[in-house]
Amino acid sequence: MPAPWFVRSMCSLLTVCNLIGGSVALAADAPSWMHAQVAAPLPAHDEKTTAVLLYSERVLTILPDKQIRRLTRKAFRILRPDGAGRGVVRVDLDGQTRVIGLRAWCIPTAGKDYAVNEKDALESSVIGVENGELMSDIRTRLLRIPATVPGSIVGYEVEEEQKPYVMADEWEFQDTVPVREARYTLQLPSGWAYKTTWLNHAEQAPTATGNNQWQWVVSDVAAARVEQNMPPWRGVTGRMIVALSPPDGQEPGIQSWRQMGEWYLNLTRGRRDASPEIKQKVVALTSSAPTLLAKVQALASFVQNDIRYVAIELGLGGYQPHPAAEVFAHRFGDCKDKVTLLSTMLKEIGVDSYYVIVNTERGSITATTPPNLAFNHAILAIALPGGLEDPTLLARESHPKLGRILFFDPTDSLTPFGRLAGPLQASYGMLVTADGGELVELPHLPAASNAVNRTAALTLDEQGTLRGDVHEVRLGDEAAAERYALRFATQETDQIKPVEAVAAAAFGTFLILKASTVNARLPEQPFEWKYTVEVEGYAKLAGNLLLVRPRVLGSKSSGLLETPEPRQYAIEFEGPESDTDVFEIALPPGYEVDELPPPVSVDDGFASYRSKSELVGRTLRYTRSFAIQDLSVPVSKAEELKQFYRIINDDERNSAVLRRVSP
Amino acid sequence: MTGASQPVFRRASVLRCLGVLAACTAVLPVRAADWLPVGPDDLRMNSEPKAPAAPAIYLYRQVDRDDNVPDETYYARIKILTDEGRKYGDVEIPFEKNNESIRDIEARTIRPDGSIATFDGTIYEKPILQTRGVKLLAKAFTLPDVQVGSIIEYRYRHRLARGFVFNSHWILSEDLFTRYAKFSLDPYRSFALRFSWPAGLPEGTEPPKTAHGAIRLETHDVPAFVTEEFMPPVDELKQRVDFIYVAGTTVEKDPADFWKKFGKQCYGLARDFTDRPRYVAQTVAQLVAPGDSAELKARKIYARVQQLRNTSYERPKTEQELERDEQKVVKNVEQLWAQGSGDHLQITWTFLALARAAGIEADPVLVAPRNLHFFNPGMMNPADLSAVIVVVKLDGQELYLDPGTPFAPFGMLPWNKTRVAGLRLDKGGGSWVTTPLPAAAQSRIVRKADLHLTANGTLAGKVTVTYTGLEALTRRLEERGEDDTERKQFLEYELQSDVPTGIDVVLTNTPDWSSSEPTLTAVYDLTVPGWAAAAGQRQLLAVGLFGGGEKHTFEHAARIHPLYFSFPYESEDDVTIGLPAGWLVNSVPQPQSVAGSTLRYDMAAEKRNGALHVKRELAFNLSYVEVKYYRPLRDFFRAVRTADEEQVVVAPGRIQAPH
Repeated sequence: MPAPWFVRSMCSLLTVCNLIGGSVALAADAPSWMHAQVAAPLPAHDEKTTAVLLYSERVLTILPDKQIRRLTRKAFRILRPDGAGRGVVRVDLDGQTRVIGLRAWCIPTAGKDYAVNEKDALESSVIGVENGELMSDIRTRLLRIPATVPGSIVGYEVEEEQKPYVMADEWEFQDTVPVREARYTLQLPSGWAYKTTWLNHAEQAPTATGNNQWQWVVSDVAAARVEQNMPPWRGVTGRMIVALSPPDGQEPGIQSWRQMGEWYLNLTRGRRDASPEIKQKVVALTSSAPTLLAKVQALASFVQNDIRYVAIELGLGGYQPHPAAEVFAHRFGDCKDKVTLLSTMLKEIGVDSYYVIVNTERGSITATTPPNLAFNHAILAIALPGGLEDPTLLARESHPKLGRILFFDPTDSLTPFGRLAGPLQASYGMLVTADGGELVELPHLPAASNAVNRTAALTLDEQGTLRGDVHEVRLGDEAAAERYALRFATQETDQIKPVEAVAAAAFGTFLILKASTVNARLPEQPFEWKYTVEVEGYAKLAGNLLLVRPRVLGSKSSGLLETPEPRQYAIEFEGPESDTDVFEIALPPGYEVDELPPPVSVDDGFASYRSKSELVGRTLRYTRSFAIQDLSVPVSKAEELKQFYRIINDDERNSAVLRRVSP
Repeated sequence: MTGASQPVFRRASVLRCLGVLAACTAVLPVRAADWLPVGPDDLRMNSEPKAPAAPAIYLYRQVDRDDNVPDETYYARIKILTDEGRKYGDVEIPFEKNNESIRDIEARTIRPDGSIATFDGTIYEKPILQTRGVKLLAKAFTLPDVQVGSIIEYRYRHRLARGFVFNSHWILSEDLFTRYAKFSLDPYRSFALRFSWPAGLPEGTEPPKTAHGAIRLETHDVPAFVTEEFMPPVDELKQRVDFIYVAGTTVEKDPADFWKKFGKQCYGLARDFTDRPRYVAQTVAQLVAPGDSAELKARKIYARVQQLRNTSYERPKTEQELERDEQKVVKNVEQLWAQGSGDHLQITWTFLALARAAGIEADPVLVAPRNLHFFNPGMMNPADLSAVIVVVKLDGQELYLDPGTPFAPFGMLPWNKTRVAGLRLDKGGGSWVTTPLPAAAQSRIVRKADLHLTANGTLAGKVTVTYTGLEALTRRLEERGEDDTERKQFLEYELQSDVPTGIDVVLTNTPDWSSSEPTLTAVYDLTVPGWAAAAGQRQLLAVGLFGGGEKHTFEHAARIHPLYFSFPYESEDDVTIGLPAGWLVNSVPQPQSVAGSTLRYDMAAEKRNGALHVKRELAFNLSYVEVKYYRPLRDFFRAVRTADEEQVVVAPGRIQAPH
């Protein structure tokens, strides 16, 4: 009906998205490879499965000039309304990749097939510069398939041409839904060779399907379930990496980490030349520093704090840093730009340093991963000159050729010089030296380097109200996290929110009477909170008994493994950790301890927990320690970890019983 | 200032505008080399007392728009106060490439020592969204040497689509504190313009003034806009000036006259749609019996109309699907009935026609749903009245009905149409009414649990949860279009949220998701591992088993905005816990009661036949709370949490009971 309220103010993005899904009706039927799936049996699945991948296929062909053509086909059967997401085809592109064909179809349960093509697609890039990503040539193309409802079979076909930096392909055949059949076909020109590496799946032998053509097939691949604290997706899902070698006599391309390092070194050639302005700045920053360590720290601090993080990554710029002089002049750059500038400045004081290319998700790259570009970050390895010893330099390793090297992340302004954030610890990165590249394991810092040490001196009155002072000292990532939270507190009244969150998890009701921080803007120092809390009704009266929980604040327990389904993957911790609590509660007059919770002591190797409640004079004293030693707990020990957390949970909820002995 | 992405009117010929251009030159903003002077105080400042902890502030903003050219110039000067504030050195300016352009971008950084780094870098064109006929891009650049203490400034000209006139806004409350800002608009002269500031103006700001055809406003010390939980719709709080073009060259000044005309127009449209008397009479005769009471007739018609396929509540379809769907454009009630489907408005008009044909006094009421913003008739914006309901008179009582919303029980409106102004249409244009807000007792969650405690502190048993009124309707609407598996997970998650610890829960019944009955019932098998905490040989049970919803409510002590809730509600928990053999209830806490005029909490625990019985009731009779009442509201929930944590002591019979 012609509504009179026709004046609409704004056409939302959502509306636009819906519009792009609209397409001119095409009289094209779905292709035969999709129709072949209509009668296909479904792979094993449970009632929560939203869709199944009936068929997937990739055909890789080598073109002249070392280009590759990649044809990808997938067909899903939608089982539940939540499977509608499979009706949106997503193709990610970069400057090296060109889509030469994009088509999609739906075979509905009744009626004619639907067809859409790339003219119906929407393309977007990363929007917003919240994370400093100002410009990149990474694009996402989205194509919506009609009638993606339970019962429908939806599928698509994407053909891309790519000029890769590394002559390799990665076939990911596992999905979050069960896969019935996945095929990979490799078509090589004469003289080319290949080598396959299988990750997270038993190796499959290929079948020769033609002249220089091979095919691999996997069937009935179980769904990979997304779990909390799981290893990175790349580290757990089935995939095959195919390395390609041209015939003898042709440039072989990247076949090893050494060669990949050489490639990267070439990209950075000339980028670490110091301009006169850089030289001048180095002098200004270091002339008053009394020691070599102080000079290095001054330069590191400058790059970490005064060079703003801004990423402009176009084409090869995703890998190649900007020249140091440019980064210095503009005072901005991304991670590799910062590394480049710091390396340049260090060279000016005679300190050598090297690029280390890493992935911020530990486990994405392992000691056995073949050469590939699955990196997303750059840090620096600084060669420590002889005699440069300092207990604060924790993130160091010995290298057979370079001697002692210190790993440093100039992008992470919250982790001070000498340390490394938890997610990077024990991760693998490519160290780039004059000899090329090599895979190295980054240091695993002692658990004590990341800690929350909390003490509280409190008084309990006869009505059960608890009052007193709490002092928290935070180190490592625990300190960085707090500083990060305060960085985003843009209202004065929000500054207290971290303390309120800790208190709210511990008490039903509370008042923070005062709170202050120490060293909030000094990352090289421990971060401290000092606050005074009042908790009405903390201890519960039950007749002549007063029930009081000795564990006052903070929880080390976790419901991570309290899930209906058994755990599928290892449990990853962000970093090592070693926390302590000492809570002292002065008892109200007229009360004596009737019963105390029993002490707890658990050491499972990967983690330990100890607690004790005792009466010291008129004070109920609770002490505990909690430590995470291993950064990864294998799934075979998930049940042990679950019990470990349950023991902690019980301990945290235990109460001491006080009995009134005088009126 | 932003332009709407859809033009409101096609402009008259460009030639007609030329005469206006000369007049516009007088309002051109600062350009070329004339950056505004920078005061030494601005260079030295390291905080703004009126915006403590702010990462950056606008020292100055200027927006000048001319809808006759049409273009808009923008100037911003920002002081960087913290590391976090340095991100404002990255700038993105969105525009629609096919019809608009961004020109004359200039930018610079003024270092704390007063030296200047002029921006001479690359300006990128960043695709935001591209599809057939649409090309949204952003001009993106980053300023050099942005440090804490720097001042950054930039300016540009936004050339708008020619041939169209857009509605627009002056955004006064930005994400950053604004020390001083100036705005101007030279409206397109061939159309009338209405402007308003629905969320008010910043303190001390004079209303916009019109001089020489241009509208101007200056403002000072505008706080940064922040978001908080339970706040009213953003549009109610974000201070701005809205400009709306209207057809013709004059603007209706009197809201009463405006709505009268609008009401007459809408009444005519409703009449046109429903005016099939013979057909409607035949149809209604098949639905009701002559001897039915008026209420029974209304209920029968309501139930039948709700069975029509309501296309407003279906999943979004692609154009191809819509073409195949062969849905014809419905022009009247007869066509709708024949097709068996329509949108929510058409279904409501159809109910109106049938009810009237059944002899029931019924009127259509246009209402403004309050989920997006609150209706103000003074704004004279017809788009606000985007929904229609029906008021019927039964036995002398007026009852508001919403047949166009699936699952809405007879006599109950969805929450966003409760307590809103509505225009009750009649031949004369109509009259204003306010829809009722159901009392808390009409929207309830009742949890009845029959559990037993094991010696290791685990609770297990059966729980029945009954949702009533708006509690049932909102859940049915949220889960429409989902399957049983998702709905089961949804309800299990609901119960998990209610219990303030980890639980194992399995839904064991099949709730009725498809009806408009006022209740929705879910039955569960529940296990709560370790609910009882050890205290030596005794065990302690907190009484607030279902207090999860209140566990973390209003933790933060400070509050900036008023609080806003969808609808009043009540909850009632009736929990019986059997003890292990030989165990006794040693002590129960005193009954707790926290009562106010709008909020109420009662909890009582008692021993009953060797078991523990806990009754807990919570009534929340609020929908809008001014900031000054935040503390009492927070205190109430603190008291609720304290009471929920009261402990029952249970122990094996040999353990001495407290006395």
